[in-house]
Amino acid sequence: MRIWIHKINANLHRYMALPAILLFGLFFLYPLAQGIGISLTDSNGMTTPNFVGLQNFIDFFADDRARNDVRITILFALGSAPLLNLFGLLYALFLDRGLPGKGFVRAVVYLPAVISPLIMGYVWYFILQPERGYLAHVLKEIGLGFLDVNWLGESSSALVVLIAVNVWQYVGMTMIVYLAGLQGIPADLYEAATIDGASRWGALRYVTLPLLYPAIKINVVTNIIGSLSVFEIIVALTDGGPGYATESLSIYILRMLYGSFTGYSTAVALILFLIILIPVVLFLRITRKSEYEL
Amino acid sequence: MSPELRQGLKYLIGGMMVLISIIPFYVLLYLAMNTPAGSMFKGLFLLPDFYFTNFVDAWNGSKLGRAMLNSTIITCLAVTLIVFVASAAGYSIARYRSRLNLTIFNTLLACMMIPAIIITVPLYSLMKSIDGINTYWAMILLTAANALPLSVFLYASFIRTLPKEVEESAVLDGCTYFTAFYRVTFHFLRPVTSAVVILTGLGIWNNYGQAVFFLQSQEMRTIPLAISMFFQTYGAKWNLMAAAALIGLAPAVLVFLLFQRYFIKGITAGALKG
Repeated sequence: MRIWIHKINANLHRYMALPAILLFGLFFLYPLAQGIGISLTDSNGMTTPNFVGLQNFIDFFADDRARNDVRITILFALGSAPLLNLFGLLYALFLDRGLPGKGFVRAVVYLPAVISPLIMGYVWYFILQPERGYLAHVLKEIGLGFLDVNWLGESSSALVVLIAVNVWQYVGMTMIVYLAGLQGIPADLYEAATIDGASRWGALRYVTLPLLYPAIKINVVTNIIGSLSVFEIIVALTDGGPGYATESLSIYILRMLYGSFTGYSTAVALILFLIILIPVVLFLRITRKSEYEL
Repeated sequence: MSPELRQGLKYLIGGMMVLISIIPFYVLLYLAMNTPAGSMFKGLFLLPDFYFTNFVDAWNGSKLGRAMLNSTIITCLAVTLIVFVASAAGYSIARYRSRLNLTIFNTLLACMMIPAIIITVPLYSLMKSIDGINTYWAMILLTAANALPLSVFLYASFIRTLPKEVEESAVLDGCTYFTAFYRVTFHFLRPVTSAVVILTGLGIWNNYGQAVFFLQSQEMRTIPLAISMFFQTYGAKWNLMAAAALIGLAPAVLVFLLFQRYFIKGITAGALKG
């Protein structure tokens, strides 16, 4: 008996990952697998679901609103992800050059990222409301009152505003990652580059950016995933409107779910998954190549 | 460019960065301290009325107290669970290369790419069948599970950087590798544990996408839910809405300001080891 217990104890460290995979399996992998099954049915939460094959997916691509939402989701990501990376990198390059009070600036810029995007969206609502909002007030005060447009109510500008708010909230996140990447680059590399006659732009292009690859990679991937599954900020600011002008796929999924189109909304969720997976995998493929070239 | 001009330009840009990030917070603070009767904004430089009754009214009207208790219970217990489950998994994966551990690790890594919204529908039927809707325990298990890929990844990559001698000397003293982890190795994990606590804790504290489905009753509401409910009922009273939003975001801001160092360390450690 004692030997048995000892034997189990001696091997226990091999199986210490099991609780993690059991918990994750029950609340993530199992629903994920089940979702694939549900997406092939006309399940609606009430009547017995029938197997309908790929009908839900066919319906999705035949539906104008669904195609519009794919477009909105991709447009949001195309605006948001590059801007987050650009501004995050510029902020980091600027702070990395040394500024008294650098820690303070870094903390303030990062601050919005720790707050729920839903609450942050409501805060922006106070600023962006036409006539009553702070922006409208400032524009009036400086004599530019005619610029006070209902930014969130016009389908031409609502998405742009959402992108701007998202970039504002999360620029600190990309900045911090880039800053850490920059601090990992030894200073003598810059010296060497300068001695070799590199201009400042040359040093950035041939020393900084290649060595920043790990940081760029993590930022681009997180931003692709984050912006393609955008949700809370839209709920708080436009709720998908006006009309469907800012309805992202994640909002569409939840609305279909509330409408009891269970099978269909699961199919849409899987489509969203593919829309996220494809650019991420492509990006990782491309960067893997360039890292070997270094 | 002369050095003085350069320096001045630096301060200017730094100041702009701070202003851009901080103005919305100031607007919020201003509104939250506005009297209900006062017109909304006065003058270019906002000076609040210092009318603190808003906070009391918002607190009572939105039942934020209960929401804060719910958020605290769910976040603390979920984070505790994450630390124990993920550190053990990270240890086994980092120290013992078996096909099982490799499969587990790769599965978790691949799932880091899947946002939680994808599984909402089947998760709902699962939660219903285990009677988990409107319960603390199910929400805790669910949010902890969602945070596992990142946490296990952080623990495994940190433990790989620790020398094996850490637990080997304990094993020579009669520990097994299992007990050595809890007696010795775990104490070396403080930096990565603080990163995991902060990153996952914040995510769970701010969780809305799952909470909105699985915590529907009023007594179970978390902060984001209580705030959004409050906004839907008090839509016109900006002073109360702002006060509620301010109370709602205060805990996260306070935690960030107190543990800023760990935040920044944690995020960068997590990010750059990948």
